[in-house]
Amino acid sequence: MILEVNGVTKVFTGKGKNKMIANDHLSLRINEGEIFGLLGQNGAGKTTLVNQILGLITPDQGDIHLLGESVCRSPARARSLCSVQPQSQVPLGFLTPKQAVSLIGKMRAGKKFDPKRMEMLFEALDMGEWVNKEGEKLSGGARRLAAFCMAVIAPGKLVILDEPTNDVDPVRRRYLWQVIRSLTKDGTSVILVTHNVLEAEKAVDRLAIIHKGKILTQGTPSEVKSSVSNQMRMELSLASESNMEIPNWALSSHKNGSRCIFAMDPQEVSAAIDWAKRQVNNGLIMDYALSPATIEDAYIEITSRKVGQE
Amino acid sequence: MNPLSHYKYVFQLQFLRNAGFLVFMTLIQILISIGIVIGFTYLIPSPDTATILFLATGAPTIILIFTGLVILPQQVGTAKTEGYMEFMRTWPVNRALILGADTTIWLIITIPGIVVSSFVAHLMFSPGYDISWTVIPALLMIALTSIGVGYGFSYLLSPTTSLAFSQVIVFGALMFSPVNFPMDRLPEWLQTLHEILPIYSMAEVMRASLAASTFEATAGNYINLFIWCILGYGGAIFILNKK
Repeated sequence: MILEVNGVTKVFTGKGKNKMIANDHLSLRINEGEIFGLLGQNGAGKTTLVNQILGLITPDQGDIHLLGESVCRSPARARSLCSVQPQSQVPLGFLTPKQAVSLIGKMRAGKKFDPKRMEMLFEALDMGEWVNKEGEKLSGGARRLAAFCMAVIAPGKLVILDEPTNDVDPVRRRYLWQVIRSLTKDGTSVILVTHNVLEAEKAVDRLAIIHKGKILTQGTPSEVKSSVSNQMRMELSLASESNMEIPNWALSSHKNGSRCIFAMDPQEVSAAIDWAKRQVNNGLIMDYALSPATIEDAYIEITSRKVGQE
Repeated sequence: MNPLSHYKYVFQLQFLRNAGFLVFMTLIQILISIGIVIGFTYLIPSPDTATILFLATGAPTIILIFTGLVILPQQVGTAKTEGYMEFMRTWPVNRALILGADTTIWLIITIPGIVVSSFVAHLMFSPGYDISWTVIPALLMIALTSIGVGYGFSYLLSPTTSLAFSQVIVFGALMFSPVNFPMDRLPEWLQTLHEILPIYSMAEVMRASLAASTFEATAGNYINLFIWCILGYGGAIFILNKK
């Protein structure tokens, strides 16, 4: 066991005694060499939890144990066992990625710092053209990758990556996932904080869905999916962003711009295809695809179910 | 790993990150300090040697105040808004070391300005420098107080507030503080205020070591600096370690 979070609650008091419960009795465990996804919408409480794991803020209730020792009691130890890629960009100023990564590497590993590992990382992420450019002059994606390398150059026991693929191009995203997976082969555990559910599904071993400070469900991707696993999903590209009538076989629907997703019972598949064909002929939708439910469906189903109850 | 190597790496990281800015700032410091010595002689039509000595021994103090209480808070403000402060807090090093490394950098950028302006003043006016060995500890103490207080308030206050505060300080230090002229020219209430604030003590200690035969500083001046220095750094470390 690398990390054990037990009943952690954190309440922030804003202006005028406004209380905001950022974390509400969260409990989770992370094993050695595991990639654990923390999924949730903006403001769900993911970053608050991460900051508590790092010992940057203290929980109001509950405790966090890192390799068997309390983080609250020895926060400095937590900072040396964990490295983190923050959600915001790391402003490198005049530092080049090479300087930044090697200095952070030396700060973490001391004499054990391995320049070859740095070269390997730069190569694996195809960063050659940027490594000797001043940070100020780099694009957002290049800076994000540099911050990623800073977090994994001397990974320690736990690496926390907060939205690591933001700003990164699709090709390098793939490289990034490979590097993350290779970390775990040396026994390092990874916490992946994201709201990009589709990416997380392919990358994580286990995950927890956080919503409004609470964990709604956790487990392996297939366990989490099992709550909606009997369903099929139909994904549509709408011809325009205007609203369309939701067919009665749709168990749930989710619309994002011109992308629309319906969940349905497997026996409704032929009816759905007929319906979709008609819409294509009428020019209302451009394209449709039918597939088994994904984590994203589970995620939307679980979080919206929760909202519906309130 | 030992604190010394941590210090080394943090220093390198912070120094390289700000390298271009620091070179620029050092040049500005040189210009400002020469400007104070020469510029004030335009303001005062026919200054006597005593007046010039006041200006020449005041310029280094102004440089240190400017660095610690104006440039530094602006830098801290930017680091806060950019999220760099939060990032520093995740480093596996003692936070006091980060403060120590940053202090060293600020110290380094003030030295060229102080040395050059003193040379220029000496060549142009020979105002009667009489440099005592105490100049090294005095300079350190004044710099640490100024930098420490700068850290203290810029960590404590929001970026906007500390920016406004530093603007008031630069104006106050230049026009309403007994750095470039004797204390007795100020109204009584300002004199009382300056007995408490560190600026007067900084100026006195600096003068006493640059022109030892003309000026002397009291033990009270040293104690005043010491207290402000502790308050500043104490506050900064408290904020850095706050959860």
